[in-house]
Amino acid sequence: MIEILFFGRLGDASDTLRIDKPKDVSDTDALTAWLSKQNRTLEAELNKAGNRIAVNKTIISENTPLNDGDEIAYMSPLSGG
Amino acid sequence: MTASYLRICDTSFDPEAEHKAFREAVGGAGAIVAFTGLVRGEGKGLTLTLSHYPGFTESQISEIARQAQARWPLVGWRILHRVGAMTAEEPIVFVATASRHRRDAFEAADFLMDFLKSEAAFWKSEKVDGNERWIEPRAQDITDKNRWS
Repeated sequence: MIEILFFGRLGDASDTLRIDKPKDVSDTDALTAWLSKQNRTLEAELNKAGNRIAVNKTIISENTPLNDGDEIAYMSPLSGG
Repeated sequence: MTASYLRICDTSFDPEAEHKAFREAVGGAGAIVAFTGLVRGEGKGLTLTLSHYPGFTESQISEIARQAQARWPLVGWRILHRVGAMTAEEPIVFVATASRHRRDAFEAADFLMDFLKSEAAFWKSEKVDGNERWIEPRAQDITDKNRWS
């Protein structure tokens, strides 16, 4: 099971997902591609510049392997406080 | 009582009460700078909604506070930040810093606010007359933050 969270505009496009990790999804690039196939609105948001991805609450800057139990967060550009 | 902490609040807070509590907690400080940010009041019927990433946002802001402490000799600091739905004139953020002498407290509070405004993991949407839009940092907020690098 993995948990996928979405924030900002991305949160408008999808609710939180708690799913079994799809068989062919072994890293964040593959997960992003898989999500894009599930939901057209989400695909449009995922393609926008300035989004960030965190795995287990740490921002990643390159493709990262995923394991069962991971929490992945897709963040639209931050608004600040 | 500990002077220095961060609190993400999902209901309204009282900046005056926070200021008093902070002052009592930082005995020995010669200077306190306290900043309160309010939801701007020009838009009647405006609702501002802030969301955050629980756990992530707190650790990110705590890291910024650690940087402030490393940079200025602070006796204490306190940050309160609202999330949820707010209307005009409600307090949205409270930042207080205390030091022995005024300059350190002024600069540390300014630094903390510049980072909160530009880098903190909040997502903000504004609803006016039924129209909702997402808000991103202004160019000025980024320029302000870059003064510290």
